Amino acid sequence: MGTARVVFDKWSGRYAARMADVRSSAVRDLFAAATRPDMISFSGGMPEVSRVPLDDVVGAATAAIRESGAEALQYGSSEGRVGVRRIVTELMAEVGVRLKPDDVVVTAGAQQALDLLAKIFIDPGDTIICEGPTYLGALQAFSAYQPNVVCVPMDEQGMRTDLLAETLERLGPRGAKFIYTIPTFQNPGGVTLSPARRRELLDLARTYDIPVIEDDPYGRLRFEGGHCLPLRALDDEVIYVGTFSKIFAPGLRLGWVTAPHPILAKFVLAKQAADLCGSAYAQTAAERYFTGTRWRRTLQVLTRTYAERRDAMLRALDEHFPAEARWTAPEGGFFVWVEMPSFLDLKSILAEAVENGVTYVPGDAFFPDGRGRNCMRLAFCFAEPDAITEGVRRLAEVLEDRLELYRAFAAAGVLGTPDGAGERG
Amino acid sequence: MKEKIAVLMGGRSLEREVSLVSGERVCDALTERGYKVLPLDVTPELVATLRAERPDAVYIALHGKHGEDGTVQELLEFLGIPYTGPGVAASALAWNKAVSKRLFVREGVGTPAWVTFTADAFKQAGAATALDLVPDAVGGLPVVVKPAEQGSALGLTKVSDADALPEALLGALSYGDAAIVERWIDGTELAVSVLDGPDGPRVLPPVEMVPKSGLFDFNAMYTPGETDYYVPARLEADKEAEVVALAARVHELLGCRHVSRVDMVVGEGGVPYVLEVNTSPGMTETSLLPMAAAAVGIDFQELVEHLVRSALDGNT
Repeated sequence: MGTARVVFDKWSGRYAARMADVRSSAVRDLFAAATRPDMISFSGGMPEVSRVPLDDVVGAATAAIRESGAEALQYGSSEGRVGVRRIVTELMAEVGVRLKPDDVVVTAGAQQALDLLAKIFIDPGDTIICEGPTYLGALQAFSAYQPNVVCVPMDEQGMRTDLLAETLERLGPRGAKFIYTIPTFQNPGGVTLSPARRRELLDLARTYDIPVIEDDPYGRLRFEGGHCLPLRALDDEVIYVGTFSKIFAPGLRLGWVTAPHPILAKFVLAKQAADLCGSAYAQTAAERYFTGTRWRRTLQVLTRTYAERRDAMLRALDEHFPAEARWTAPEGGFFVWVEMPSFLDLKSILAEAVENGVTYVPGDAFFPDGRGRNCMRLAFCFAEPDAITEGVRRLAEVLEDRLELYRAFAAAGVLGTPDGAGERG
Repeated sequence: MKEKIAVLMGGRSLEREVSLVSGERVCDALTERGYKVLPLDVTPELVATLRAERPDAVYIALHGKHGEDGTVQELLEFLGIPYTGPGVAASALAWNKAVSKRLFVREGVGTPAWVTFTADAFKQAGAATALDLVPDAVGGLPVVVKPAEQGSALGLTKVSDADALPEALLGALSYGDAAIVERWIDGTELAVSVLDGPDGPRVLPPVEMVPKSGLFDFNAMYTPGETDYYVPARLEADKEAEVVALAARVHELLGCRHVSRVDMVVGEGGVPYVLEVNTSPGMTETSLLPMAAAAVGIDFQELVEHLVRSALDGNT
């Protein structure tokens, strides 16, 4: 039988100061625990790995052990196996980036790359620049190194480069350690940095002499719209972070980083301290998986699956969501970002949503400073289209209830602006 | 080994994290003092755990809804377990500022002018069309807008411009079904703690809060360095005596037992106004009750043990 007993952390008070900023939210943990069997989750950005043919994986894993067992089970080089780095160069060539295997270091997922980049660049109190909102896991990785995070707002075209220019002018040359950006199908915003702004961002970074970290997990999951070159294709000095998690599977924990060689040298030192080397077994299996063309078909299936789910979500939002809501229409990736009128606290509403059988991530998780409480991230990647429709309907019910009050104020004409009433998309 | 004490903390209130900090400190203090300590969260297993463990008393370290509004107190009365802090009626009365302020006015206790709005008044009766009357009704701007039932100053906004009033009300009403708009009193903000003892209520030295932002909100309350505290408050001796007597009176007026914290502000001309009464004061490192107790030589363990003994020994 369960008990209401609380277990304290008897080591509290002995942790490093840097851990103070990286604790999880007690309220969020509580709600995470409160699940019901028919819960529809829009919270996690989990790839639909069930679409990856297991026979292909069995083949790759078997070949890895049969043909290179001794290597796969041994320590490898810190930079990663040459074979998998060659595959990275081939993948990157397809998006307009020419690399040699030497330019690539394999990491334990893109997450490790973010942690190690933060480790080699950030001293406590250093300023870094990112989009606001930005990837929660990046904020987590960075915050352990105690930076001062400056967020630049976005619109449908991605990061507002005019506001970035203002920020940089205020901070001055080398005024920030780096600019972290997810230019394509941003997490959580769902928006993509326009080609013109890509140029502007890179020009600004050059002018103010600040490195750019481009995080590109979703770039190959495009549903429609024109091809968009990564920043790294436009500027050799961009530090680029890639991952196999979305084009293959996150369970292998394989990502990579490419950067100018001096940075890469520092990165490898940090990587050695962290884990000596990545999993040779996972790398060998990935080498086999990406040999031939079957993986391309699987990637098409994955992309088509996500596109259907994005369509289902946008349709359901159009049909069920209140007129006061605004949301982004992503051309790829995993996420839709929803903004409600400023007074609505979606963190406090999450409890009701969970009771109503649907979850999301409240927007403040994606800001370093508590902003974004009137926003939420909806992940469409992991639920079937029917479940998405039902989940959006359940969520709309909860929101409608709260909006009744807002409408009474709007009807009396006492609110300054209608705050998005009637606007869509 | 002394008696077995269950310390109730956490819960689903918005002040969960603060409560967990208070609760852990209370547990440590009781353990040091030789009690058998049982830390408990408010979960669906709470009642079963209480029945199985049969503690001699419950220390309520919950803050906010359910812990402070009489819900848990009512449950513990039903289960026949003695608990710390004010009873059901006093908790409910203090928790609802709209009601306790009515009581203050009736009994001649100064409290800033205010109006109360329920969410239903807006939704069903079009109260938003009368917001233009609010500033005059409370004696002018600025005003403070806050939820009628919420601790820790969550959803609190100071409004100096009438145009900002609707948004502030919407903000406050996202924390509860009613909000109050209260005249802002410029002056010295005080927290005056009252402890019951064998000889009746004992008022601890008033603590003066000077928030750097000018507003004693959630942030000012819990972020170290955001507020300067003075214990005792920088008051003339006769003024201090006046606020001390006022706190004791309010404590008794609401029918509080064991402990309460009366928050007030001394305005222009030295007039004290009572803002609200807290029946489950915070017990964190920056909390006001432990600060006041320390000023008269009552250390944290002694304070906690005093409250527990009050519950165990039937001191009402």
